[in-house]
Order: sequence, then structure tokens, then C-alpha cells
Amino acid sequence: MTSIATMYDKLKKYLDNFIIGRGYTNIMTGYITGELQFLIFIIILASLFRIFSFPLAIIILVLTGAAAIYFAPTIINIEKENSNELNRVLYWFLIYFAIIIAITIWGG
Amino acid sequence: MIEVTIQLLGFIAAALLIVIGIAGMVFLDNMIKKIIAFTLLSDGVNLLLVAIGYIEGGVVPILLPGMSITEFTMRAALVFPIGIVLTNIVIGVSTTAILVALVIMLYRRYGTLKASVILKGERR
Amino acid sequence: MMELVSNLWSIPLIVIIPLITAVIVNAIYDKEVIKYISIASALITLGISIISPYGYHWFTGHPAFDPNTFTFTFDPGIPAFRLSLEFVYGPIQQIMIVISSLILVFCVILATVGLTKRQGPYMATIFLLFASAAIIIMVNDLYHLWIAVEIGSLIVVGVVVASGTSISHKAALKYAFFSAISGAGLAVALALLLGITGFANVSDIIRIMNTVGISGMEKILYISFGFFILAWMYAGGLAPIHPLKSEVYGASYPHATAVLQAQSKLMLVAIGIIMLRIFGTLPFIKEVMIFLSVITMILGVVLALIQIDFRWIIAYLIISHSGLVTLGIALGTKDGIIGGVFQAVNDIIYMSVLLFCCEALYYFGGATSTKNSFGIARKSPWLCAAVLLGAFAAAGMPPFNGFQSEIILIQASLNSGLPEIAVIILMVSITTLIALLRAIYRIFLKPPEVEVLEAKIPKAINFGIWLFIILTIIIGVYPDIALRFIIPAVEGGFLP
Repeated sequence: MTSIATMYDKLKKYLDNFIIGRGYTNIMTGYITGELQFLIFIIILASLFRIFSFPLAIIILVLTGAAAIYFAPTIINIEKENSNELNRVLYWFLIYFAIIIAITIWGG
Repeated sequence: MIEVTIQLLGFIAAALLIVIGIAGMVFLDNMIKKIIAFTLLSDGVNLLLVAIGYIEGGVVPILLPGMSITEFTMRAALVFPIGIVLTNIVIGVSTTAILVALVIMLYRRYGTLKASVILKGERR
Repeated sequence: MMELVSNLWSIPLIVIIPLITAVIVNAIYDKEVIKYISIASALITLGISIISPYGYHWFTGHPAFDPNTFTFTFDPGIPAFRLSLEFVYGPIQQIMIVISSLILVFCVILATVGLTKRQGPYMATIFLLFASAAIIIMVNDLYHLWIAVEIGSLIVVGVVVASGTSISHKAALKYAFFSAISGAGLAVALALLLGITGFANVSDIIRIMNTVGISGMEKILYISFGFFILAWMYAGGLAPIHPLKSEVYGASYPHATAVLQAQSKLMLVAIGIIMLRIFGTLPFIKEVMIFLSVITMILGVVLALIQIDFRWIIAYLIISHSGLVTLGIALGTKDGIIGGVFQAVNDIIYMSVLLFCCEALYYFGGATSTKNSFGIARKSPWLCAAVLLGAFAAAGMPPFNGFQSEIILIQASLNSGLPEIAVIILMVSITTLIALLRAIYRIFLKPPEVEVLEAKIPKAINFGIWLFIILTIIIGVYPDIALRFIIPAVEGGFLP
């Protein structure tokens, strides 16, 4: 289980690779805030599953929260996966398109 | 048993062109090949539109002397897809021109046509 | 103003005047007179959009066919098959085009103040951008929608390239690349709908689907919807295209970004409403649209927190707030659509405030990076006050306009039985404020680590900033000024 102190250390180690000197504290606060915000967003999104089934929502909520805390800091992966590299955008674009077509055609 | 008509063959060919075009744009690394794949995609879309407008045993959508209105409406191929195809060709030319111009500019800077090198993600 | 005409004089003018201006300024290329022609043209377009009555414009000039009485009519009030390509100018179109024209006026003024070389082609792209946005919000047929989306995306490429940096060239190339895919996708969607229904006019498509029915063809409708969503994602910068769109916003000049983001919001509203009208009754359509909107909101605002340049923070916040606009439309209820359109109008205004403030920072030697503190509040306290007010408006605080639209969206989410979405909207507002205040503190308030140039901000920028701030406060205190355009259109008619 990752503690808050360890998450900070991991972020510090990641940021030290490319940010030195001025503005370090400011950037660090941005990353930590982003990490915590994303955690809360994910938990709220997981609770949306109550529309399908309430016990399922509780299970998904607990699992998602635990996974997000265990794999913290997720903000590094979020930044990597949302980078503007063309191949990465194409990859996510195909995933989204496939999910949308699958949901609408099978769901309909 | 599905009857094989010209329209069905047209749809199949269009689908193939579109799939090959999208696959090329996604999987090929060379920027010029991506642009060529885009032209395939565009041609596939044009073929789809033309195939939609096709009518078995139809005539060109021009009211010729001696042709009755009823016969014309029954037999004339759809006209609107023709207009869309022409527009699509023009848009395809413009897009291709812009893509090629940008690739030239970036080639002069980076010395390569590889998308994985030119269009790498950047930290801001 | 409620006169309904079937061949409204103002609709072609709103499109043709920017087009002709673009041709003329491009031909003139780099003379002083470009400034005056551009400003005059933008003001004329603004004037026409304000005084124009409401109505339609039917291309090809033939009448509509009423299937009930088997007669032809030029009266657009009678439900009939239009059989034509159609533009609509109603209340929603009016308010969105007026706001966009106002931004165009200031964008043109700021561009002519700042740029000296290659003014002609750059001005041409700005006017073409406005023309494509105006077409998209007025359109009621898929053919013109597709053309305007394609043209608009190519022009965006031109606007981005005009910034001249290698980042902007790469951003432009990636954006053009996706424009190729999404344009082809939208053409396929148009082809499929044309094949099923035989019509390109949106009203005719809906009429045929409701009267004759399209049973057995639902899967084709879903494929068509999938390609439409692709165009929607691309046009508005929704996830997963948000990295490219934010790069487009961040790499352009701030005044150009103001017009770009206005164009994006118009496209989102127009395409979203058309999708709702055609596909809204099918299962899972609204759920997919809500899912995309929520993901965009979350990703946009989280990524804004980790940016280290004020321009990029604003770029990602524009993306996030685009998600707010599309969320309202995706909810599909009257409140939701009213909230979504109102949010689009407000968003365009307060983001323009922030972008014009960012333009002003260029005069301090480009002091937009949050790695350093510049202490600009001491040199320009009014600019600091303006950017703070813009941040409060963006965060949805009263008495600014953002508050009014977000409260409608929150109520719409609660009425739809989705309180989680309401919580997400609130969190996005708070996070917007956090992201902006971090940057504002570093750039304006903290004692300077790096000295900046003594700058005299042009009066045009100050005037633009404060005009839009006053607009945010007026709409925030009297939201009916905007809502009286939107509510009747959503409730009664005049939706394209």
C-alpha cells in the first residue's frame, strides 16, 4: 500500500528529471493536486455504476479507489497517455471509436 | 443467398478502400505513405457515395428530349451524391496540398519523413 | 424580429462578407489599408447579425412539398419536406454569431496592432474561420455541415501555422491529419443517412424517420452516429482528440485562439444538436455523449493543473469547459440544452478575457511561464485585476456569467437523476480556479525572480478585456439578456 509520503517521493523523483530550479514547488503542487483530484473524479465516476446495479457500484468503487491509491502516483501515466504524440492519440482514438460502436450496436 | 449486383460490388470495394486507407494512416510510419493512404480513404468514400446513387438499369440524371417525367424519376440515378463527390474531390485536393506542404516544412527541419520522429510527443 | 422568411437576405451576407474580405485582404497582402478593411468588415458583420430578422435560406430556390395536401409552399412555418439545402437564422444563431462577431472585431484589431508582416493572408484565415463557424451554426443540412467542418479544420491549420514556430507546424500537421480522417468519416455518415432516407436536409431526415420509419436499418444509423461522434470529438477537441486541440490552442497567438475557441464551441453546439435531433431516440446515444463529455471535463482540468505555461493552462481549460457545453447538450433535456448553449456563450466570453490578458502578457516579454515569477501586478495592476476577474468568471463564481450557466447545468443533471455529474461539474469549477490562481500567483502576485520589460499595453487590448469583463458581469447579473434568445428556441422551434 502506497502512503502519501511515498507518492510525494515518487513524484519528486519523476519531476527531478526535467524540472530544476525555479518554480519547482509550484509544479509539484500542481502534480499533487492533479493526482488527488483525479482520484476523487475516478471514485465519483465509479459510483455512477449504481445506475446498473447498486452492489456492483459498491464493489467497483472500492476496487477503483484501492487501485488508484495503490498505483499512485497515476498522474505520471495520465500525462504520458494524454501526450500529443500522434501514435498515442491514434491509439486512444481507435479504442474510443471501438467502444462507442460496440456499446451502441450491441446495446441497441 | 445475397444477389451480387454492381452496387454491392461497389460497396465492398469502397469498404476495402476505406479500411486500407485508415490502416495505412494509422500504421505506416512514413508521412508520404500516410498521405497516400489518405487519398485511398478519400477515394473509398467517393466510391461509397457513387454506389449509393447507383440505380440498376438507370440512366444519367439529365432530362433528355422525348423522355417523360415519370420515366425520368423512375430511372435516373441520384444526382446529389455526384455533387458530394465533386466537393469531396476538391476538399481532398486541398487537404493533400496542406499535408504535403507541412511535411515539406518539417522535413527541412528534421531531415526525416518518419512520423515517430517528427511527431514525437513534447514536454512543454 | 419573429418574421419568418424563406429567403432571408442576411444569411448569405453573414457568410459572403467575411469571404470577400478574406479574398481582398489576401490580394492586398501587406499594406496598411488591410487594417481598415478588416475592422470595417468585422463591424458590418456584427451589425448585420444584430439587426437581422429571423428566417431561413433555401438553396436552389424551389418550394417545399407538403405531403399532407400535396401542394408546394414557400412558407417555412408549414411542416413540409424542404427538399433543399437550408440555413436557419434564429435566436440561438443570433446570439452565437453576435458574440463571435464581437470577438472577431477585437481579434482583428489586436492582430493588426501586433503583426506587421504577412498580414493579408493571416487576416484572410481569420475571416474564413469566422465564416466557417457562422455556416456551421446556421446549417440545417448535412452537406453544408460537412463542407463547413472540413473547411473550418483546414483554416484552423492555416491559423496555427501563421504563428511560425516549429511547435505550431507540428500541431498543424497532426490536426490536419485528423481532419482528413474525421472529414472522411463525416462524409460516410452523410452517405449512410442519404442512402437510408434519401435526404440531406436534417428536418427532412427526421420527418422521414418519424413517418415512414427505418425499421431494420438501426445498425446503419449507429454506424452513422459513430462517424458523427468522430466529427464532434474532432471539431470540439473532446477526448481523445484533446491533446491535439489543446496544442492548437496553445501554439496559436492568443487573439487567434479566442476566435478558434469560439469556432469550436459553435461547432460543438451545432453538431451536438443535430446529433440529438437525428439519433436522440435511439438507445445509448445520450449515454455515449455524456460519457465523452465527462471524460473530457475531467481530463482537461486535471491536465491543466500540471501545465507550466499560462497559455497551455488556458488551452486545457478551454477543452474542459467544452466538455461542460457538450454535457448540457448530451443530457438531452430542455434544461440541459439551454444550459449547454448558455455555457457555450458564456465560455466564449470569459475565455476571451483570459486570452486577451494572455496577449497583453506578450508585451512584457512573453511572461507566460509559471517557472518564474514576474511580479507583473506591480507594473500593471489593472491587468492583474482583469485576469483575476476572468478567473473568477471561468470558475463559475457569482456575479459572473459562468455561475448562471453552471447552475442551470447542475440543476439539469440533478433533474436527470445524475447527482454524480453535478458533483463533477462543481469539482471542475473549483479545479479551474485552482489551476488559474496558481498561474496568476506566479506571474502577477509573487515578487519577481525575473525582471520583465516595461510595457505599454495597447489601448485596444485593454478596451477589449474590460468590455468582455463588463459583459460577463452584465450577463451574470441579468442572465435573461442571453436566455431570452436561447429558451424560446429550445422550447418552441428554431433549432437547426
